Amino acid sequence: MTTDTTRVEVHASSGRVRLDLRPGALSPRVLSTGPGVARVALVATRALLLGGDDVRIEVVVGDGVELELVEVSGTVAYNGRGRSSSWAVDVRVDDGGLLVWDALPFVVAQGADVERRTDVRLGEGAVALLRETLVLGRTGETGGRLRSRTIVDLSAPRHPRDSRAADDSQQDELSVPREPLGPRTADGSRELFVEDLDLRDDRTLPGILGDGRVVDSVLLAGARPPAAGGADEPGARTPSYLRLDLAGPGAVARHLGASTHDAGLDRVVAAWVPHVRTTRPDARTGETTGAVRADRPILQTTGA
Amino acid sequence: MGEGAGPDGRGELMLALLADARLPTGGHTQSAGLEPALRAGMDPARVPDYLRARLATVTRVEAATAVVARHVVMPDATGCGPSSGAAAMALAETWHAWAARTPSAALRDTSQRLGRGYLRLLRRLWAGDPRVLALDEAARLVTADHAADRASDLGRDQARGVEGSDDESATADGRGRAASGTRNRGAQPPRPLVLGVTAACAGLSALQVARLVGYEDTQTVAAATLKLAPIDPVDATGWVVAAQPAIDALAYDVAPLTDPRAIPAHGAPLVEQWAEIHARTTERLFSA
Repeated sequence: MTTDTTRVEVHASSGRVRLDLRPGALSPRVLSTGPGVARVALVATRALLLGGDDVRIEVVVGDGVELELVEVSGTVAYNGRGRSSSWAVDVRVDDGGLLVWDALPFVVAQGADVERRTDVRLGEGAVALLRETLVLGRTGETGGRLRSRTIVDLSAPRHPRDSRAADDSQQDELSVPREPLGPRTADGSRELFVEDLDLRDDRTLPGILGDGRVVDSVLLAGARPPAAGGADEPGARTPSYLRLDLAGPGAVARHLGASTHDAGLDRVVAAWVPHVRTTRPDARTGETTGAVRADRPILQTTGA
Repeated sequence: MGEGAGPDGRGELMLALLADARLPTGGHTQSAGLEPALRAGMDPARVPDYLRARLATVTRVEAATAVVARHVVMPDATGCGPSSGAAAMALAETWHAWAARTPSAALRDTSQRLGRGYLRLLRRLWAGDPRVLALDEAARLVTADHAADRASDLGRDQARGVEGSDDESATADGRGRAASGTRNRGAQPPRPLVLGVTAACAGLSALQVARLVGYEDTQTVAAATLKLAPIDPVDATGWVVAAQPAIDALAYDVAPLTDPRAIPAHGAPLVEQWAEIHARTTERLFSA
């Protein structure tokens, strides 16, 4: 059994973008490109996800580039007839890059046994917005076994000295030590978000999922979203989702429930994506692509 | 030997002390999420299942964090302690690992509030211990990291042409706690970090500190149930006794851990949701 790898890699290249696409279980198709921007669709090339499948998706977003990944259909992990399957996503966003991936639902059918893994490494000023809609069972099913792990790492040095020197008054107020912080780990990275959702036998326990069968999440990593309850967060007064502000720069908006899809999280995506686009470091230079980005409609997904 | 109890039984006595509800650390304000769970409609008869869920998820993260924090400040086999700088860096890394595995700001705030009570004990009872100094230094490192995160946010807001920080308005309605909790003062170490350092100072083994976390969480839930539901206290005590194999299994799973990145990250989405709702609830018996 070999791992089936799909790869999407994009870099800035003399005012345009250079794409390196490798089809696997999914076929990447270019929807559009512009200066420093690319939209790529991921299209399933065969029935996914069957018992024994090991699907791997590698995404590399080069320095300062914005990549939007678009799915045309959700994914169903079918009854594996005793065989497990895996779905691994490996994302690297280099300095100042942005990845937006408003993924469609991932349905774990009765009899499926799936390991999902999402690894994200972010460079300095890099941002990733990832949607993950986990659905346990198709209509009328209680669903299969799922373990979904997410690890987001921030590269060091995350904050070069000059970015802090930009505001000396704040620094004095906070009494920030002047000496370098030094690496936290051997490779100098710092964990932002680590979650291992074990949605197998114990998921119906009170406190884990209870009777719920949907875990719909929007993860924003590398930047904080707009203020909770702010004008640009629709539905914030009576949100149908929970907002978890991480200790570091990032947040998770999450809806737990019985329904397959929650419109509240679509609105979160619609609010957070323009926010991170306009706060990207290169927006500071007022480059011409800024206006194009702001005008571009946000992809609306309808779900399964 | 593996239990780490000294020949005079010091470890056992310290374990009893630290597990005692009369310890002045504010444990009586806690229900370990039980109050919001019952408010959300959980049947009190399911408390034993709720205990299982916690031991598999949030309590596992807590126990593992305490084990790793204890490890990184312990002297090695040669009797040499880690240099205080190295110990502080390792504690800061353990702290970040815990924070990355605790996405709910409400749960982080509760843990940091509880950490203060234990820190008061630690500072007074083991004043001047290099391991306590390492914890203070770790707090400075994490404070600096948080300040750097905010400086980065500020840069983003400037890029966007926003006046003032988004966090200011967020704090006003109590939802910006992620940033505000440590905004104008030093970062507060979470309870498992302080407990790990306390375990090192008190001579507890890794297994003992892991059991302590598991037992304490279970007993907190059981005791809180008595105040929230008409339950016979003996039945509630029976739940704790019945949880013993699960507590011990958890302790054996996490006791060997030494690397902050190896700390398990099992999330409990409903526990997190209930904690966030409870933090914004004014009429409540327990603070968390």
